[in-house]
Amino acid sequence: MKREKNWVNYYLQSTSGIVGAVLVLIMITLSLISAFGLAPHDPLEQNPMDALQGPNGTYWFGTDQFGRDIFSRSIDGMRRSLSVALLSVGLATLFGVTLGVVGGYLGRWIDNIVVRTSDVIFAFPAILLALAIVNSLGNSWIDTSVAIAIVYTPIFIRVARGPVLSVKEMDYIKSARVLGYSSPRILGRHIMPNVFAPIVVQVALSLSWAILTESGLSFLGLGTQPPDASLGLMVSEAQALAAFAWWSLAFPSIFITIVVIGLNLVGDGLRDALDPARRSTS
Amino acid sequence: MRDLLSLQGLSIQTSSDKRSLTADVNISLVEGEALGIVGESGSGKTLTALSILGLLPRGVEVVSGEINFNGENLLSLEPERLREIRGKEISMVYQDPMTALNPVMTVGNQLLEVLDYHNHEVKNPESHVRESLIEVGIPDPERALKSYPHEFSGGMRQRAVIAMSLLLSPKLLIADEPTTALDVTIQRQILSLVSKQRSRRQMSMLWITHDLGVVANLVDRVAVMYAGRIVEVGTTKQIFNSPQHPYTQGLLASLPVASSRSRSRLASIPGVPPKPWLVGQSCSFADRCQFVQIRCRESLPLLDAQGSKSVACFYPIASST
Amino acid sequence: MTLVIDNVFKKYPIRQSKTVVNALNGISLNISKGQTLGIVGESGCGKSTLARLIVGLESPTQGAITWRDNVLLRGSKNQWRNHLSPAQLVFQDPYSSLNPRQRIGECIREVISAHNLRKKEEIDSRVTELLKVVGISEDMKNRYPHQLSGGQRQRVSIARALAAEPELIILDEPVSALDVSVRADVMNLLVDLRKEFGLTYLFISHDLSMVRHISDVIAVMYLGRVVELGTWDEVLDNPQHPYTKALIAAIPDHSQVGQMDLTVSLEGEVPSPTNIPLGCAFHVRCPIAVPNCSKMIPQLLPIKSSQSVACSEVVK
Ligand SMILES: Nc1ncnc2c1ncn2[C@@H]1O[C@H](COP(=O)(O)OP(=O)(O)O)[C@@H](O)[C@H]1O
Ligand SMILES: Nc1ncnc2c1ncn2[C@@H]1O[C@H](COP(=O)(O)OP(=O)(O)O)[C@@H](O)[C@H]1O
Ligand SMILES: [Mg+2]
Ligand SMILES: [Mg+2]
Repeated sequence: MKREKNWVNYYLQSTSGIVGAVLVLIMITLSLISAFGLAPHDPLEQNPMDALQGPNGTYWFGTDQFGRDIFSRSIDGMRRSLSVALLSVGLATLFGVTLGVVGGYLGRWIDNIVVRTSDVIFAFPAILLALAIVNSLGNSWIDTSVAIAIVYTPIFIRVARGPVLSVKEMDYIKSARVLGYSSPRILGRHIMPNVFAPIVVQVALSLSWAILTESGLSFLGLGTQPPDASLGLMVSEAQALAAFAWWSLAFPSIFITIVVIGLNLVGDGLRDALDPARRSTS
Repeated sequence: MRDLLSLQGLSIQTSSDKRSLTADVNISLVEGEALGIVGESGSGKTLTALSILGLLPRGVEVVSGEINFNGENLLSLEPERLREIRGKEISMVYQDPMTALNPVMTVGNQLLEVLDYHNHEVKNPESHVRESLIEVGIPDPERALKSYPHEFSGGMRQRAVIAMSLLLSPKLLIADEPTTALDVTIQRQILSLVSKQRSRRQMSMLWITHDLGVVANLVDRVAVMYAGRIVEVGTTKQIFNSPQHPYTQGLLASLPVASSRSRSRLASIPGVPPKPWLVGQSCSFADRCQFVQIRCRESLPLLDAQGSKSVACFYPIASST
Repeated sequence: MTLVIDNVFKKYPIRQSKTVVNALNGISLNISKGQTLGIVGESGCGKSTLARLIVGLESPTQGAITWRDNVLLRGSKNQWRNHLSPAQLVFQDPYSSLNPRQRIGECIREVISAHNLRKKEEIDSRVTELLKVVGISEDMKNRYPHQLSGGQRQRVSIARALAAEPELIILDEPVSALDVSVRADVMNLLVDLRKEFGLTYLFISHDLSMVRHISDVIAVMYLGRVVELGTWDEVLDNPQHPYTKALIAAIPDHSQVGQMDLTVSLEGEVPSPTNIPLGCAFHVRCPIAVPNCSKMIPQLLPIKSSQSVACSEVVK
């Protein structure tokens, strides 16, 4: 009998999965460098003498109109974006998955409440809702994360609830009930393992959306406030300069693109790797 | 009589990884004849049928062989001419009647469209369509014409599909498990309807099924398919009364006989059918065959024509008659 | 032990269309220990619904399903919730009846350990034994369901049911989804197990030739009721109800080449269970119907000691 590979080995066979993981790891490393204060320059320090320099040996990505180092600001922005994304997606996963699984499994009025509430949240365009929440909460990165978490919770409710509803109808769940298994056992051993994969994939994809939302909020002047760096804010501020200082717009944009693409590739790779049927047929 | 349809050495593979799905399929059908193709799921029946009409799904392709219909090689025809043949000269009925009908169009309009598309000259298309529905036993054709497919039961849908496929009086009707999804009493109605229409129209028929009981009572000749190959061909009587291939014999012996009084243990065939692309140059049934010899694993038995009957086996079971 | 199904109704209200699906309409049956009761009927006649009611997945709208003799008697509502049901179910679809993320050995082991059916140290050997009994070798214990063929999965489902040591095993179309050449194997296994362990089966199928092969007693269902009941040979050789006759006549028989009379034995289709004809539900298609048939629902009455028919024209 052919030994089936575990999912890590399977994941590592896919080129796009590896590329995605490498891109994400590079971005995480850069964020950590910034977090430990190891960036080549202080991201907030203004050097009017060095304003608007193109990329060179001292300022790898060039400088902005205040002479701040764009590389240091970009990796600091990346750190902020990733922190917001992790916290917001973490919260959304925790609440969304719990509500979705409980609602989907128990059904009846509990499910009704869950579905109605998430429909109401869904009815608003994501960015508008996040705007409104940030407006009423405040501008700290935690506030931003909570706002994004609220916006994304319904997505996780759906992502968890859909598979629970279909798995619940499977004969093996009926069989588990006939075998007298308790609800926690059925949920934990027969339902959750079968809805786990779509949730993990959704987490990877949502991280990339969360980064875009955070950038969007900062771009619109909510979220991260000057002089702090955020990728969205840097893009926003660079708009006016882009015509004569392309680097001020290009590098933060490239960072956003890289991390979003990386997370998407990781999500796709996980989707394949977490499916046991797919693992053994190749 | 000359062949209306003949497939010669037809092999189908997946396009990407060149997995062999069917290999060296030879079947022929003279005018007015009904041929049954029987085989278990995955044996390649549907692909063979679809290849005749040039309707193979994306990702699989004919890699060798010929399909001759009425003197034309269907594989090298202009798409224009092939479309003309489809529906007009060859029509097809599928297992799932829901996918054969357009859910957002009334049954009447779908039938009229068939006439329209093929520029069929009929004086009064509406009454032609109505008659076709009466012919297939749909009660209240007026209402049926205005109905949408979902308002029909499974049996009624299949009748409507049959009406549609008979509309242009094709020379050949290909039916791919058309009664598998239906209950036995409805299946009986459809079988009766089809055999009546066939003899009235002198139409040829290629009937694909895994149900041996159906072919035993419906067709003139039977081809048995196993792992992408035809392993035995013969008249229905020959196949059922004196099967020569161990697979055919095993399959027949494994079925409980509805009309017998005794209930003996069922004969069973150990194992499962192999994937056609993993068979290679040996008999595909060798691993499950109780009469297997060394030769069976070393070379590939081919269909060996002896009159109307042919069997792809080095050691065929001696016929009992 | 005897399972008694007494005048059971099951109605499914459909909210959107404000109609009611009458899946079971006063069905009564008994199954006694060691017996195999076969249920045959066309799709939608309520066979699976009856199975779900017996194992306690759903409760009857009306009527009672009870165990007599040495099995506990319980109320009807959710009767077996969190308890091991004395009736276990083997489903039709081998692809959805096993948890795709659970190794098959674990699937059997869980039944035993969740209910402490064996001492800890005996569980392993019990799992091996159960798998062996259904013809799955021990070294396959760590496989996932997708690594098995359809026939092997059905064997695992049977082993899982056996692990629960049930009074009754309900087989709901256990071979219908399998390939023709694999069916015989599973049917033989069921017959062997019955002989070895004295099992009691409720064998459900739309395929009369399979039901005939395994059953002691056959019940023919039509629109949620039993129309004929008798020993297997009585029902097949000497069918009395016009529906049973039509059903038997409609089976294509491979042993009689070209002998089948292709003239239609039964016109029309089964009426919708949302709108069941008054009186005898079969009278709208019945070749021997008389005006009275639309007035009264015929009861299942004996014509012999072991054969009963629900037809007022047959039992006069
Ligand atoms: N589109 C496709 N791509 C790849 N393989 C296919 C495709 N369609 C069918 N097959 C494979 O070809 C074989 C024959 O299929 P099919 O003709 O549908 O069998 P049958 O109709 O006898 O059940 C099967 O192994 C099936 O998995
Ligand atoms: N949960 C349900 N809700 C509504 N209708 C149902 C439900 N389950 C079964 N039915 C209906 O009850 C009838 C009997 O179904 P079923 O017991 O599955 O029949 P069988 O197993 O004999 O094919 C069918 O008409 C079916 O559509
Ligand atoms: Mg097919
Ligand atoms: Mg059923």
